[in-house]
Formats: sequence, structure tokens, C-alpha cells
Amino acid sequence: MTYRTQFDSELDNLKLNLIRMSDLVIRNITDALHSFINMNSELAERIIKEDKLVNDFEYSIEKECMRIILREQPVAKDLRLITSVLKMITDLERIGDHAVDLSRLTVFMEKSEGNFNLPQIKLMIDVCEEMIRLALDSFVNKDINMAKEVIDKDDLVDDYFEEIKQLVVKAIKENNISADYSIYLMMAAKYLERIGDHAVNLAEWVIFSITGEHQ
Amino acid sequence: MEKVFTIKKLNLKYGEKTALLDINMDIPKNEITALIGPSGCGKSTLLRTLNRMNDLIENCHVKGDIKYEGNDIFSKDFDVIDLRTNVGMVFQKPNPFPMSIFDNVAYGPRCQGVKDKKILQETVIQALKNAALYDEVRDRLKESAKELSGGQQQRLCIARAIAMRPDVILMDEPTSALDPIATAKIEDLILELKQKYTIVIVTHNMQQAARISDNTAFLLMGELIEYDKTDKIFSNPAKAKTEEYITGRFG
Repeated sequence: MTYRTQFDSELDNLKLNLIRMSDLVIRNITDALHSFINMNSELAERIIKEDKLVNDFEYSIEKECMRIILREQPVAKDLRLITSVLKMITDLERIGDHAVDLSRLTVFMEKSEGNFNLPQIKLMIDVCEEMIRLALDSFVNKDINMAKEVIDKDDLVDDYFEEIKQLVVKAIKENNISADYSIYLMMAAKYLERIGDHAVNLAEWVIFSITGEHQ
Repeated sequence: MEKVFTIKKLNLKYGEKTALLDINMDIPKNEITALIGPSGCGKSTLLRTLNRMNDLIENCHVKGDIKYEGNDIFSKDFDVIDLRTNVGMVFQKPNPFPMSIFDNVAYGPRCQGVKDKKILQETVIQALKNAALYDEVRDRLKESAKELSGGQQQRLCIARAIAMRPDVILMDEPTSALDPIATAKIEDLILELKQKYTIVIVTHNMQQAARISDNTAFLLMGELIEYDKTDKIFSNPAKAKTEEYITGRFG
């Protein structure tokens, strides 16, 4: 006979809410990245407005975690799950913030003069998107290997960031890019690099919830 | 790590019924070791075996080794009275004797032959102080112990055990009959006593085991499933059965 059915259903509900929050953040970040690539300021404006929903999710999940800790006094795998969820929602919220940052950049860049296409930005965007999705999938499937894949992919994001930095510096020296545009590009690359770091954090908390070990 | 008890291949049967099966574990000195597990898992039996209280039970057969400070407690030469002096016990329900507070604590030393009133006085006061009870009873040492509250009676029983100058104190669910405040006082006292004594405690309250113990042993149907540092057991146990039990999925 299995006991604590109410507790189990509360934990299931918590996981479901984390997945819902992740879905929203993934949608916002994907739209933000695409609005950035296509310079679609209308889409960018919507993302800025939707950030409140991400913040509301973080608040309500945090409250629910506190309530479960208080009422159920979880230990072992349950405590690890709740601790991980509490940490993951912070990273998800930060990724959501970066979606807003990128959207704001889109609005600025659309208005600014200049055009300087870097294929590395698109490649960086693709890796970041994949990292977030993989991190979420590793949580849903309790898959350590998938989580480790996320951590490994961060090197790629860091490499692209370095490459973009070098290319922007070169373009500045050669006078091929405006001052405004070069700053916006570097800011976008930095946001993407940070999104990669948050995806790594998500994966590390997934591993902690499964193994009890945090890197 | 200095060990007080070394238990090897301990098996215990009540008649035909196996109560303990191949138990191997060490009890470290000056630490608190908690024994947890569902009812009937053998934790109280294991506790009582440490000072051979099970000798008093008919049809109880023990096989295997328990060494106390390196000496085999089941050997013919071993003095059981000495063992029970060195390894005191506190039970689930406070069981003060029907006599005064003072006489309760003085009972053990008197049985040991201490007659000097001054020595007895000092021993009783020191034991009551160590059991964090003296300040509450200093003016009524001659009153009946039955007048004390449940929590005070349990601390009196601890004082009675301490008066024998033991090395180890065994506690069998010492707070299960107490309210939360009395429980908190006993838990504080147990942590204090750790400085001087080795403590082995049986508890059904897992939060209590997590709060106060250094080591936790999980028993199930007479078997020692897992024994490790308490922090490890309650954060990331190695065995699935332990995890199911401590997270309340069965028991």
C-alpha cells in the first residue's frame, strides 16, 4: 500500500506547474530570439508584456514549495525535488528576463541605423533554444545524460560568444559597424551567453534532484 | 572513530520468530545513533540486546557477537551487572519509583553500596543538574517523584540513569509520551549529554532522528537495511527501501 497520496499529488502538481512555466519561458525566449533575428518589434512588445506572467509563475511556485515544506516536511528525494524546483524557477525567471532584454534590444535596433549580419548570432540562438528544451526534457524524463548534454553544449555557446566579440572588434576597427549597433550586438551576444549559463544551472539542478550531488 | 559497541552477525529469535537477522554495525563513542523503522522491525530488540535486557525474556536466543569496549558481552566471564551499570536505559514511558525525587536518583548508587550521605547528596545533585532538572526541583527533593510532570519524570529517569555514571545511555522512544515542549527539552538534553555519553535512541519520530542524531540505522523486518550518517540518510539514502520509509511511502 502506498501512503501520502495527497503529498504525491502535490508534488505532481508542482512538477506540472514548473513545466507550464518552462513552456511559457521557452515560448517567450524563442519568440524573442526570432523577433531579434527578424527585427520584429511588434512581437518584441508582446514578449515584454508577457514577462509578468513568468514572474507570477515564479511567485506562485515559490509559495507552493514553501507550503509543501511547511506542511509535509519532505526529506530525501522529495526534499531534493522541491529544492531543485525552487532553484530552477529562479533560472527560468532570469531566462525570461533575458527574453525581455533581447526584445528591448530588437525595438532599439530596428530604430537604429545600420545592418551587420553575423551568422554566429543565429547559431548561438539555436544552441540556446536547444539547451533550454533539453534541460526541461531531462527534468521531465529524469534523464541525467540529457542534462549532461546541456552542460557540454555550453562550451559551444561560449565559443560563439568569443567569435562574435572578435568579429565585432574587427568590424569596429574597419569602420564597418556603427557604435550603437556594435554595442547592441555585443549586448545580445552577452544575453545569449547568460541564457546558456542559466540552462546549465537548470541541468545541474535536474542532476541534483536525481543524484543528490550538485556540481 | 572510536567505537563503543561492535556488533557482528547478530541474530536473535523469540522462540521460532526471527527478530534480528545478521546485524553488523558499530556504535561510535560520544555520538547519538538513532534506530528507526516500522513497528516490529527489531529496533527496540536491538537496543535491549546492547545491555542484555533480552536475557529477561523467555525463549530469546541470541547468536553472534556484540563487543562492548572490546569485550564480548555474551562471554561467560562477562559481568552483566557491570554492563547494565555502564549501559543505562531510559524507557518510553517515564517510570519513576514510588519514592521521593531524591531517593529515585539515589537508588542506583545505594544499590552499588554508596552509604555516605555527603557523596549521595553530591551524586544526586550532579545527576539532576546534568539532566537539566535540578533548577526545577531543588526545593522539593523530598517530594514524591509522582508529583512531577511527564517531561520532568522523564528527565528524572535520565538523572537516575546518569547517577550510575554510565558510558552509554540507551533510550527507547523517550519522548513518545511527552508534549512538544517537554520533547524539545529532552532533545536539548540529549544533545547536551552527547558531550559525556554515547547515546543510542529508538524513535518513531523521523524529524527527531534527523534533528538530533549523528548516525541513523534503518531496520526492516529484523534486517539492517542501511546505516550511515544521519545527513546522508535523510538527504540521499543509498537504498530505495530507506527512501520509501523516510519519505513516508510505507511503514
